Amino acid sequence: MGEDTFSQLAALGSTLTLIFGLVVLWRHSLHAYVGAFQWQSLVLAGMFVLVGYYGGDPALYVVAAVFWALKVMIIPRYLNRLHRDIGAAQEDTPYVNTATSLVVGGLLVVMAYAMTRPMVLASTLPTRGGIPLAMGLILVGLFVLITRKKALTQIVGFLVLENGIALLAVLGTYGIPLIIELGVFLDVLLGFLVMQVFVYHIHGTFETIDVDQLNQLKH
Amino acid sequence: MIFLLLLLPSLTAALLAFAVRPYRNFVGRASALLSLAPLGAALAFAGQTFGGGTPVFGPGDLLRVDSLSALFMVCVAFAGLLALWFSPGLAGANHFEPGALRRYHVFINLFIFAMLLTVSANNVGIMWIAVEATTIFSAMIIPLTLTKSSVEASWKYILICSVGIALAFVGTVFAYFDFVTLSGHPENALNWPVLVAAAPHLQPDVLRLAFVFILIGYGTKAGLAPMHTWLPDAHSEAPSPLSALMSGVLLTVALYTIMRWKVVVDAALGPAYSNQLLIALGVLSLGIGAFSLVVQHNYKRMLAYSSIEHVGLMCIGLGLGPLGIFAALLHLIGHTAAKSMVFIAAGEVLHRFESTDLAGVSGLLRAMPRTGVLFAAGVLALVGLPPFGLFMSEFALVRAGVVAGHGWLMAVVLVLLAVAFVSLIRHLNQMLYGEPPAGVPMGEQRDWRFAWLAVNVAVLVIFGLVLPAPVAAWLNQIVEIVSR
Repeated sequence: MGEDTFSQLAALGSTLTLIFGLVVLWRHSLHAYVGAFQWQSLVLAGMFVLVGYYGGDPALYVVAAVFWALKVMIIPRYLNRLHRDIGAAQEDTPYVNTATSLVVGGLLVVMAYAMTRPMVLASTLPTRGGIPLAMGLILVGLFVLITRKKALTQIVGFLVLENGIALLAVLGTYGIPLIIELGVFLDVLLGFLVMQVFVYHIHGTFETIDVDQLNQLKH
Repeated sequence: MIFLLLLLPSLTAALLAFAVRPYRNFVGRASALLSLAPLGAALAFAGQTFGGGTPVFGPGDLLRVDSLSALFMVCVAFAGLLALWFSPGLAGANHFEPGALRRYHVFINLFIFAMLLTVSANNVGIMWIAVEATTIFSAMIIPLTLTKSSVEASWKYILICSVGIALAFVGTVFAYFDFVTLSGHPENALNWPVLVAAAPHLQPDVLRLAFVFILIGYGTKAGLAPMHTWLPDAHSEAPSPLSALMSGVLLTVALYTIMRWKVVVDAALGPAYSNQLLIALGVLSLGIGAFSLVVQHNYKRMLAYSSIEHVGLMCIGLGLGPLGIFAALLHLIGHTAAKSMVFIAAGEVLHRFESTDLAGVSGLLRAMPRTGVLFAAGVLALVGLPPFGLFMSEFALVRAGVVAGHGWLMAVVLVLLAVAFVSLIRHLNQMLYGEPPAGVPMGEQRDWRFAWLAVNVAVLVIFGLVLPAPVAAWLNQIVEIVSR
């Protein structure tokens, strides 16, 4: 297997990651979101292994293992538990309807191609074709986060955004230095744990996790 | 060695608070005492960097101090000390539950630790991790008592700031990408001096995009408009010592990260690019801060909007070349001194009047003569009245702007400052004079902790009357670092 295969596998992986991100735009149950996130993270862990193998950087295997533990095992488990404790959190009425969401999602990916043009031109890496897709995933995550009303869905949007950044780092730079990567994972975990505590708090004080209801604070 | 003195005490205090269950008052007193050590360490670093040293520590020069970081260390360590000495649960009667107090003392110390780590990290990746950690730790203690508004404020805070910081990470990855494309994977590529040295050869287009992400990202944390929406909520709902830290130093620590990146980007693109962006965001923040002050009904939100206004001013200063940077640094010192004092005083006012409404507070000078005077002095300093330091720095800033050929812009800045001036003074009058509401106890007992606030007042007055020559020389060193 040579560079061509590597390049194609990287493109395939990035495309899959992006598609799992787009799933969040048209599915409505949290169950589906968690599933999509889990699959997306699994593909991403695979990307770390792939780049580690072809790029000759064994540190990426460690990153892949930690990433897998964190985002395929731990975080989805917590999300499902939250879901169970708080009850069904159907995202019935996002601020933007499904059809429009999908169109916007497509436009965001196009925009990502325009934004990352300087990178793709500057790079000689076989993985550079995936960089716009990673940027697209970041933008899609951001879009989910600002258009969904449920606190839990916002967390999913945030996690998708973070996966986009991880993909960007692994494709564009063959992974950031190990110590920083581990620090970032620690932050991700802590941040997620604090967010889920707040979901319980929101549920406890407002008796809903519809952030539309969070309107106590005005001037 | 000094690095350990700087960073370990906060960790120790956090561990102590974590280990002692349920919360006991000696934990609070211990962390107040421990906070003296980081301040000593920060001052020692200030001395070392003044002598031209840049101490480094750890494998791969993990930590590094130059005069820029030393200035922020002193500010953070001092504000941290104030916050801990005025924290609830040091002694006597408490109006919080033991569980909440324990959580508070664990996380406020971790929060201070994360800020100190941010300004001493050599590696911009570690710097990013530390900034993200400040968000997580401080969000944990905004709702010290769970109410609808405190939960809402902290949810907004953690969500908006985490997203902002994530975008800053995208910028960091882009810059690292640029570096790796140029020179492969050398050791310590994300160390700041290495980045600065490599910067002239980096791809300008990539770096331009990277800086936009970094500015939006860290700018969110700095409370720059239009990413400021979390700030008034979080700063007004947080317990007062935490507000003092968030307003007094957290915002400027975020500015610090922007300054670090500005040096890298300027080396590649020339200063014009980053200066334009900084000035634009600065003027917008100043405007939004100033006009929001007019309509405030809540004095803690009022102080929060004043922070947005002042961060905007500093941001403008950073975009005005060496003279402006000098003014911004001076302003930063004054703002830290004034804001930390005012928020501490506001906490006392809230405790006594049991209302954050401006309408609910009157006759402050009669009910609380000492706190009232300190609060008034702080607000007068914040509106830029002489003889306080912020008058001098605002004057220097406007002068730098005129020299840089931004005459009209400075006229706008002056008008906005006048708007802020008028509304803050109006709100202040409402609080200070008149009859205190019925049921509010009169008079204050002696409290030796207030002696610390003499330092704030002294800094404000000294910097307003004469800028001591060694301090000026030290600040000039920092200007050289930021504007080279």
